[in-house]
Amino acid sequence: MSSPSDADLIGRSLAEPEAFGGIYDRHAPLLLRFLGRRVGAETAEVLAHEAFRIAFERRKSFDSSRSSALPWLYGIASNLLRKHRRAEARRLRASARMAAGNEAADRRSSAAALHARVLLPRVADAVAALPEPEREALLLYAWEELSYESVAEALQLPIGTVRSRLSRARARLRELLGETGKGRTRSR
Amino acid sequence: MKTMDALSKLRRNAAFAPGALDRGKAKLMAEIESQTAPLPRPTVVPQLPYHDVRAALEFLERAFGFRELTSSRVEDEHGVVGHAMVAFGDGLIGLGQHGGHGTSSPKSLGGESEYVSVYVPDVDAHYRRALAAGARIANGLRDQFWGDRTYEALDLEGHRWRFHQRVREVPRAEWKWSPSDD
Repeated sequence: MSSPSDADLIGRSLAEPEAFGGIYDRHAPLLLRFLGRRVGAETAEVLAHEAFRIAFERRKSFDSSRSSALPWLYGIASNLLRKHRRAEARRLRASARMAAGNEAADRRSSAAALHARVLLPRVADAVAALPEPEREALLLYAWEELSYESVAEALQLPIGTVRSRLSRARARLRELLGETGKGRTRSR
Repeated sequence: MKTMDALSKLRRNAAFAPGALDRGKAKLMAEIESQTAPLPRPTVVPQLPYHDVRAALEFLERAFGFRELTSSRVEDEHGVVGHAMVAFGDGLIGLGQHGGHGTSSPKSLGGESEYVSVYVPDVDAHYRRALAAGARIANGLRDQFWGDRTYEALDLEGHRWRFHQRVREVPRAEWKWSPSDD
């Protein structure tokens, strides 16, 4: 017997609320990692709980034509992150320092290491400074590897808007970093 | 280094604390139960005033094991909690804003004007939990002359809570009370 889809579970949870626990079991690890990347493990735990609580309360409004609840959960969690911009910016800067250190250790060329040490903090600051809607779309796409469709579903936007936000976000970063030409895009 | 490469280098593998998953599941299931279980409707419901109801809720849950009936929470647009209900067993307590209904938080009053007794299944375990959560112990664990084992703790704003466990039956004729007992 195949396991029930997320939509089945959520549908069932309307009459048997505890069935919603199955949604937690499936998606909590990814959601905790997503939130942890953005604001650190401790805050992530608080926000993940909040996200699942909200999801449970709003389960009636889940679009049952969607097979996976994950984009919907990402969307709820993304919303909660808005109140944590400062923690996020701090974490980005710390990540930049760590990544620059790794680069320095990995590379023979001290020029490349120096480049990383200068560039990564700038990227971190640039990401932190992106307007909220663009940053959210960019990080869901680049870090969580969501498809355009899933980003659109998470942020409840038309897919065209997601595309334009992503290209605006990339353009802003490139501009900030003085890069020319098109960056590589991921094919999927 | 291209922008998108740099961005991917900033992506950290985020581990979560061991136990985080189980803790989250337990909290969610308790939440689901509290939202769907019928509200307890005891006849008497004490109301306690707090300056910061949100912080009080968090503390009462973490330190003493109360559970909020989230469907009863009243909150303004800034997230200030005006009133909330917590349950313990079949008991119910309301938490309201300091100053409302003529009440004052002990924090402003400089002392308590009452305390609340709560019966728990294992008072020693309850004591350890409260202590670990940073509750101020006002009176340590002791066996009382009428057969309860108790301790008293103060919450964040100084409300006093007395936790009891019935440990033995003592015939009334054997009760020994002195005014110095606490």
